[in-house]
Amino acid sequence: MDISLFIQQLLNGLSIGSVYAIFALGYTLVYSILGIINLAHGAIFTLGAYFTYALMGGSFGFNGLFANLTLPVQLPFAMALIIGSGLAGLVGIGMERIAFKPLRNKGSDPLLTVVSSLGVAVVIVNLIQYLVGAESYTFPANTFGNLPAAINFGSAEKPIPIRSVQVIIFGVSMVIVAILTYFINRTKYGKAMQAIAEDPVTSSLLGIDSDRFIILTFFLSSFLAGLAGTLVASSVSIAGPYFGIAFGLRGLAVIVLGGLGSIPGAVLGGLLIGVVEALVPAEFSGYKDAVAFGILFVMLLVRPQGLLGRRFIQKV
Amino acid sequence: MKKILSRQSILTSACVLLITACGSNTANNSTSETPSSSNQSTTIPIGIAIAQTSNVALLGQEQVAGVKIAEKYFNDKGGINGTPIKLVLQDTAGDEAGAINAFQTLINRDKVVGIVGPTLSQQAFSADPVAERAKVPVIGPSNTAKGVPEIGDYVARVSVPVSVVAPNAVKAALKQNPNIKKVAVFFAQNDAFSKSETEIFQKTVKDQGLELVTVQKFQTTDTDFQSQATNAINLKPDLVIISGLAADGGNLVRQLRELGYKGLIIGGNGLNTSNIFPVCKALCDGVLIAQAYSPEHPGEINAAFRKAYVEQFKKEPPQFSAQAFTAVQVYVDALKELDNKSKISQLQLPQLRTELNKQILAGKYNTILGEISFTPVGEVVQKDFYVAQIKMEKDGSQGKFAFLK
Repeated sequence: MDISLFIQQLLNGLSIGSVYAIFALGYTLVYSILGIINLAHGAIFTLGAYFTYALMGGSFGFNGLFANLTLPVQLPFAMALIIGSGLAGLVGIGMERIAFKPLRNKGSDPLLTVVSSLGVAVVIVNLIQYLVGAESYTFPANTFGNLPAAINFGSAEKPIPIRSVQVIIFGVSMVIVAILTYFINRTKYGKAMQAIAEDPVTSSLLGIDSDRFIILTFFLSSFLAGLAGTLVASSVSIAGPYFGIAFGLRGLAVIVLGGLGSIPGAVLGGLLIGVVEALVPAEFSGYKDAVAFGILFVMLLVRPQGLLGRRFIQKV
Repeated sequence: MKKILSRQSILTSACVLLITACGSNTANNSTSETPSSSNQSTTIPIGIAIAQTSNVALLGQEQVAGVKIAEKYFNDKGGINGTPIKLVLQDTAGDEAGAINAFQTLINRDKVVGIVGPTLSQQAFSADPVAERAKVPVIGPSNTAKGVPEIGDYVARVSVPVSVVAPNAVKAALKQNPNIKKVAVFFAQNDAFSKSETEIFQKTVKDQGLELVTVQKFQTTDTDFQSQATNAINLKPDLVIISGLAADGGNLVRQLRELGYKGLIIGGNGLNTSNIFPVCKALCDGVLIAQAYSPEHPGEINAAFRKAYVEQFKKEPPQFSAQAFTAVQVYVDALKELDNKSKISQLQLPQLRTELNKQILAGKYNTILGEISFTPVGEVVQKDFYVAQIKMEKDGSQGKFAFLK
């Protein structure tokens, strides 16, 4: 592979990988606290993109039951992004109260919670289709101002064009990762969440209201999913209600590769899978998923706890 | 160890469930009122098995629009010699299982005389044999892959195969830019139609003496095409040909343009829908697409169809709606002809289905696609074809297919 092409694909991979990372962080947060995989995460990803799109354009598009519904405001992208992701976070809280809490209270097997989350995912996706239709929607061309469509990182002879939106996505994603890492490791709330993840019973005896922190966890997780959905949608388009399903699958791969429950692992896994996919040779480009998941499979055999995960030890 | 196993088993199950969910039929089999199970009905039930959900719904919704306009139009004209038709809609979603379920329901529960569907060629290869075994006529409204009419005696299509339509677009591109030498081809490898179409495009490229510099594959569920696009752009093609569906194809067009590709782009039949306008917006401008239907086609029936569509959707009717309308028309015309020969109310359903199939293949139809008929195998014979070029408003808010002379 030509060096300029290698650099190009590396940058492509880092950009999409950074989105995988923030998407997977949401998975990781929920898994850390409750030990469950939330399969509705991909649907929330889609929902976040629709929320931001509607807040920015002042309408839910031109299809489905909401076709004629207009909003009283049209917000700038940054504000719509934060509020849209926040709304996704609120949906996450609602989902936790309806689909997860009742099962948790009954002490159900975690597998049932996984199935429950799958049910929520299907309902959300179908609801989106019913309300907004199956159409694709694209954010306006001036979403990020008047930036050029692409930035050339190479020379005139060997151009390395990267779309401006990809650079923005990478920057925003890394800022989000930094903020979240600070929140988890340096703040009182973050430490409390870690305590619950480590030992819910002891943390409860220490006065930490685990129920409150579970709500916070779901809010943050869904906020990140909504944010990732909007960032991807601004780069491509909202490709219909099933938009987040493929990301949901990749998100699983990312957290397993990085190490279940590990925040740095989710970031590393995301970037790694993004880069691996981008570096798949052109003639096999349609098989990039197979390559990424093949690496995951090998990783599970060689290092089941993932790159940065901890080995589970059961005392007997 | 128990904990490790537990976590792993949960994860494995989760993956399996998610994969199942991705591929499963999420259709709700929404059905309009169930018609009578015999030919004593006051309406004649025609089954419509198309994708109303899944990522294929973008195309399926256009087909629903087409068949609903047809139902109203032909019933207003007196139906089948006075008996109205009743369309029974079943959602196939985007996969094979969904199409088979829809076909079985229409055949066994709804007792339809024939079926329009499914949306995808890939689904046709699985579902059409179900109708063939039950001896129920099927008319594919958008199955353009090689081999669909050959599935069985009861299978026909009104969608002309890509081998006929696709070369027109390459010829139109060469007319616009005779200096085209290098061609890059992209296709969705998980879609039978796109695979079939790309073979035709690639053969046409070679037949025209052009150099095929790269063939890039993707999935219809993909959204990020930066790797494929930059790979191709580095080879400096003069022409890009894309076989995919609206969402992925539109995103690919957008990313190619944003990354600096300035040459001509040809879109295949999956991109032949105004649904790509909101995906690539202003960057859709200039994409060439060969078509089997033109809204500007002369004739009374097309004028009526176009008027009804524009009134309802405020845009020109797309090919998928037109072909779906045509499929219903073939049933209506064939049923009328059959009724003139021997009263269809006197025929038992199995006999009616068989006679109807014979009549479909024997007839000639003056449709909104122009005059069509069928070969004995069920392949459509169509006279008129078109090439359109997408023209977008500068702000990307509106677009249209401008037909080239």
